[in-house]
Amino acid sequence: MTAATESTLSDSTRPAPRPQRRLRNPGLLAALPVLIFLALAFAAPLLAVLGYSFMPEGTFDFTFPPTIENYHTVFSGSYYISFVKSLGLALVTVALLMVICWPIAYGMAKIFGRWANLMTLAIVIPLFVSENIRLFGWVLFLIKGGVLLGSLQTWLGIEAESILYDVPAIVLGLVYVYLPFTLFPMVLGISMVSREVTEAAFDMGASRWQVFREVELPLAMPGILIGGLLTFILSLGSLAESKILGGQAVIMIADEIETAFTFGQNWPLGSALSVLLILFSGTLVITLLNWVDLDRILGRGRDD
Amino acid sequence: MQFDRRSLLRYSAAAGALGLAGPLAGPALAAREKELNILCWEGYNSDEVLDPFRRSTSADVSAESGTSDPDMINKLRAGEVNVWDVINVNQPWARDEMWPEGLIKPLPKDRFEPFFADMMAPFNENYKWCYSEDGANLLGIIQRFGPFNFVVNTDKVSRATAEDEGFNLFNEASNAGRFGILTYDNWNIFHMCIGAGLDPFVPHSEAEIAAFEKTARAWFKGAKLKTDDLVAMNLALINGEIDFYLTGGTYTASPARLDGSTNIRGITPKKGPLAGGKGGITWVEVTSVVNNPQVSPLAYDFLEYVQAPEVSHAVAFAEGTYNPVTQMGNKEVFDLFSSEELDAIQWDSLEEELSNTVDYQINPDYEVMDKIYNAAKREA
Repeated sequence: MTAATESTLSDSTRPAPRPQRRLRNPGLLAALPVLIFLALAFAAPLLAVLGYSFMPEGTFDFTFPPTIENYHTVFSGSYYISFVKSLGLALVTVALLMVICWPIAYGMAKIFGRWANLMTLAIVIPLFVSENIRLFGWVLFLIKGGVLLGSLQTWLGIEAESILYDVPAIVLGLVYVYLPFTLFPMVLGISMVSREVTEAAFDMGASRWQVFREVELPLAMPGILIGGLLTFILSLGSLAESKILGGQAVIMIADEIETAFTFGQNWPLGSALSVLLILFSGTLVITLLNWVDLDRILGRGRDD
Repeated sequence: MQFDRRSLLRYSAAAGALGLAGPLAGPALAAREKELNILCWEGYNSDEVLDPFRRSTSADVSAESGTSDPDMINKLRAGEVNVWDVINVNQPWARDEMWPEGLIKPLPKDRFEPFFADMMAPFNENYKWCYSEDGANLLGIIQRFGPFNFVVNTDKVSRATAEDEGFNLFNEASNAGRFGILTYDNWNIFHMCIGAGLDPFVPHSEAEIAAFEKTARAWFKGAKLKTDDLVAMNLALINGEIDFYLTGGTYTASPARLDGSTNIRGITPKKGPLAGGKGGITWVEVTSVVNNPQVSPLAYDFLEYVQAPEVSHAVAFAEGTYNPVTQMGNKEVFDLFSSEELDAIQWDSLEEELSNTVDYQINPDYEVMDKIYNAAKREA
């Protein structure tokens, strides 16, 4: 029986309700404070950025006739280098984290038992320390004469060059900083794979690889996707790893935006770059979420 | 001067709020006797400097620092003149831009001119950047200053060699991979001009802009690291990752020197393509009162307060970076500095360095050069 027929039946058997004043749309009214807050704190700044992106170069208010010169500057210059390099670094980070996190997540969800809590704590506690300070810690560890190279030289007499100020150091920083963002959704994903299902697959003669590919991976996919997406978007907009560990060997797109807003004092150009970055990430997220259909993977919605 | 995504978001939020609140902000500000808003370089916003003033006036004093002079001035241009009371930026801006644009108010001469008498030479006699071009109006008062050119590890490059070579040190192909660039963009551009044999403070021909571009590209290619964090840069210099870095001086070397790394030294080239054959630049901060329609009367009191000997010393050694102050011409102020502090700010060579520098001025081709600079950085 559907909810609609139930309510029709009950309405016909009950005496007519006394006329009373009802809120026509209580849901909207209740949501109004949050909507106003979001409009002011979330939408307005984004709209301001969008508005600025159509103002002439180097201006500071919205009183000028709109122009697309900022977008022209972005597309005619070499900004694509920063976009492509940021994109590449984000993809490499996600790929590496997938490989690194799977065994850890599998262990935490299926094997470690109560030790998993301790691991969670060990991974979460550093998040309370500012990202910049943690990255600076890596600089002290990796720098010439620092913890690693200094110790190697003192104890073993080995002289080596540091990996700082180049692309590998940036990747290291990105993988280190965003590991929890891939790991924890993946742990949730893997914990959705019930033991009975994998046991059934094994009983029916599936190899370990087949179980991984055809049972565990698809069932854990929501967690993997959410983790991957989160990490990708955060890495794409990252800045500190390239600045602190990478010696700006790669100028990230977020760095270009910051420069336009600060030293360049060209808010419209910074806004145009921001709009493009938001559009790019937004399109990617929406496309991916449409494509994979989380509801179906989670076993809700269409199949019911 | 650290920036991350959060500060970027703050910028965006501020831009949005400005759009919404701009027209409403005026009438909301009234009766500002107990309120003071300061826009300044870091140091003036430290508790050592502000707390005694807060206590003596029981006022609500807030201070915010920016990433560059134009960054702060553009806040006023974008309508924040009715927010701020005091602005502290480097020497050319008050006289050349803020005063002509009506962003600042003149100071009462009878109250503030006497302070100049006790200052160090050459700041003690009608320092031109404190006055309007016709000399009729006093536009601000000076305090912190410093030569700002490049920094070396004297264990690797001697002071004498560095001073003689000047910015050519960065031009030599054999030095590629030995240096860093502290990315204070506007200053890098000045120094890249000097490296290209140009005076950054005059209009440039197309050939000169091309020469600038060649230097900018070569230096970015040769740089081992680029960062806007002076601590990270000093660390790389101390640990031998690099042997020298450009865009630096007392302001950036002093924290490392006070920590005992006295082999880290700001260098002023002995000669170069600047006016009078000079090879280096000095910045001097000018602090002015904002042309706020309801300016806090405390703005003037604050300018007077920072002249006191103890406060002058606190400003010189505020958190982060340490710098000489013009008030050190007064023995009472000078005596407050320990020998370690004097060594940190390179007091021994300060006078000589000043004589080899010109004042920081506005680069008329900054916008063009900034675009070239950023492309060179990106494409290196």
